[in-house]
Amino acid sequence: MLKIEHLTKTYGDKRAVDDLSLHIHPGEIYGFIGHNGAGKTTTIKSACGLLRFDSGIVTIDGISLKKDPLACKARLAYIPDNPDLYEFMTGIQYLNFVADVFRVSAEDRQSRIREYADAFELTGDLAQPISAYSHGMKQKLAIISALIHEPRLIVMDEPFVGLDPKASHLLKELMRGLCDRGGAIFFSTHVLEVAEKLCDEVAIIKGGKLVKSGTMEEVKGDASLEDVFLELEDDHA
Amino acid sequence: MLKTLMKKQMMELFSFFWLDKKKNRKRTGMRLAAGIAMYAALFGVIAGIFVGMSLMLCKPLTAVGMDWLYFTLTGLVGVVLGVFGSVFNTYAGLYLSKDNDLLTSMPIPPRIILTARLSGVYAMGLMYELLVMLPALGVYGVVAKPGIAAVLCALWTTLMLSVFVLTLSAILGWFVALISAKAKHRSLLVVVLSLAFLGGYYYLYGKAYQMLLDIASDPTATGKAMMRIQPLYLLGRGAAGDLPSLLLLTGMVLALFAAMMLALARSYNRIVTDKRGEVKARYRERPAAMRSVDGALLFKEMRRFLGSPNYMLNCGLGCVFMLIGMAALLIKADAVREMLAMFAEGNESMLPLLAAAAICALASMNDLAAPSVSLEGKSLWLAQSLPVPAAKVLSAKLRLHLIFTLIPAMLLTAGAAIVLKPEPVLAALLFASVIAFVLFMAALGLTLNLKMPNLNWTNEIVPIKQSASVTIALLGGWALVAALAAVCGLLRARLSPAVFLLGATALLLAAYALLRQWIRTRGAHIFESL
Repeated sequence: MLKIEHLTKTYGDKRAVDDLSLHIHPGEIYGFIGHNGAGKTTTIKSACGLLRFDSGIVTIDGISLKKDPLACKARLAYIPDNPDLYEFMTGIQYLNFVADVFRVSAEDRQSRIREYADAFELTGDLAQPISAYSHGMKQKLAIISALIHEPRLIVMDEPFVGLDPKASHLLKELMRGLCDRGGAIFFSTHVLEVAEKLCDEVAIIKGGKLVKSGTMEEVKGDASLEDVFLELEDDHA
Repeated sequence: MLKTLMKKQMMELFSFFWLDKKKNRKRTGMRLAAGIAMYAALFGVIAGIFVGMSLMLCKPLTAVGMDWLYFTLTGLVGVVLGVFGSVFNTYAGLYLSKDNDLLTSMPIPPRIILTARLSGVYAMGLMYELLVMLPALGVYGVVAKPGIAAVLCALWTTLMLSVFVLTLSAILGWFVALISAKAKHRSLLVVVLSLAFLGGYYYLYGKAYQMLLDIASDPTATGKAMMRIQPLYLLGRGAAGDLPSLLLLTGMVLALFAAMMLALARSYNRIVTDKRGEVKARYRERPAAMRSVDGALLFKEMRRFLGSPNYMLNCGLGCVFMLIGMAALLIKADAVREMLAMFAEGNESMLPLLAAAAICALASMNDLAAPSVSLEGKSLWLAQSLPVPAAKVLSAKLRLHLIFTLIPAMLLTAGAAIVLKPEPVLAALLFASVIAFVLFMAALGLTLNLKMPNLNWTNEIVPIKQSASVTIALLGGWALVAALAAVCGLLRARLSPAVFLLGATALLLAAYALLRQWIRTRGAHIFESL
């Protein structure tokens, strides 16, 4: 589904991502963990076509991101760590805008908005301008807008930040549901317990380099993910 | 503390000079020098217009010892332009910054936050006021050859005028904030109040200016008229070197300023922390209608424009002026015709040319495209992550500009054609030249913003009013009109108005085509890489 091969991105003299390769298969929830400044967001933005990278290949469903970025973007949804949405729109206007761009039919969008907005308890606030939303409400709206066009792949940067426990639980269910239907999720998180319970595969990045990746069992064995992560941090310090 | 906040404010205001925000690195010495030179050239061209105005007034007035009237007239023009440059900054600049919560959570007295915020408004007002006052002072220096004391008095008066401009602007901002704090439809109210203020202000200004022109034409009535316009008399006398008048003027201006500061400081925290005006709208599900991708992108731009009083007032003011112009044309057709005929010195075929220049000058007050990239701000990721070519996103920004500028411009042009009754060829060229100018200015504004974007702002007034792209687009539009008028004046004997309009239209359309192609290719690439 998402294949990242030898991705390298530098900012001036600093290598933010260094020869990183990952492969996310259909049906997988893939966790991406690392300390602050490890290169997670740079990798995610590069994989979504939001950041030009120096070298490497990114393909989505076999389509090269560099050669056909629009076809790739049509297959994915991206949710950033800080949901800066169009604050001059109301929630419903924003959802319709995204649905228009992704050519979602009137019937489909209506039923999906109803389903997801009800599930996230956001229906009553859809007529409000986004500028009046709390961080958590914006995050919920960003998630709904990502789901509205039924993407094959969702790429999320710290998706659980700002969500209440109920919404977090719902998001986990939705993530699993999408993967059960053949989609894939690639997300970064600092919440290792969530990654441990939710992810099929996980990758740990440090200083822009991949230090460990594989299925959850391969990465952590009998230890906890937290122990493995802290040990790897010390080893590569 | 004040120094720290002022530094932050000035960094936000002037950072485009030394920081390349597209590449997030400092500009090189050459680029910095080129930027400053470009600004200086632009200001020079605009100031040139006011040099002409000052020369017209200075010689006759100083010859009959009415130096004070010269300063009152130029001072009034300076205040008008200063208020235009700053008045719509105040409400947003003072009360709607994104760092309000941060600053009000810190142990900083409200007056310090207020003073720092006001410095941005002051800088904009001063910049516009100096466009008039520097040429006025220069011309006075050359024509009247005043002594050092008189020069210092004139400079001090200029400074006092800038404080007065700030006071006027801040009072409007405060007034709007007080009323809109509890209003249901805040954006609409801010626009209506601001336009009402501007209308009232320009009405009073027009009256005062007419009164002063009457005095100039009939100096014997001066004594009587002076009783009615004491503050203006003090302004002129003070600038012309009369110390008691200057002291009195200074006292009045500073007293007004102090009263304004006191009132604003007392209410500042209450206003920025009072969110009671927000009314929760209830959502009712309605059948969803699909838009095309182009339609959705245009809708987004429309929402941004119509949802922001700052954007509407600062970048769409030309719409209001053009519609007022059209009404004035139709209601006072004879007076307008007479006035244009006076400028045309009896040459009827020059009238469409003058009309085109006036309409283009008004149309260039619309700068919707110039801040449109910067306004994406932190939500830029959205436009970049959508499966839509960047060229389409940019095209929607151009269309927004054209919709809100071409429609009123065409109405005004139609009004001019009805009143001036030019020959069919000249009428067609009048329409064509205005369309070409509007197209060019839209593309120029967008190009400038792609070259000089500012996505990291804490107050939307920064990209809307205080950015390089908007300043250059606004002043550049006027400078272009002035330059075309100057060329026309020079070639008047050789080229007929029709040939000149045809040439100007062709040039503008060619320049538009080049810019449009650049936006589609290189501009789209820049947008994707921001």
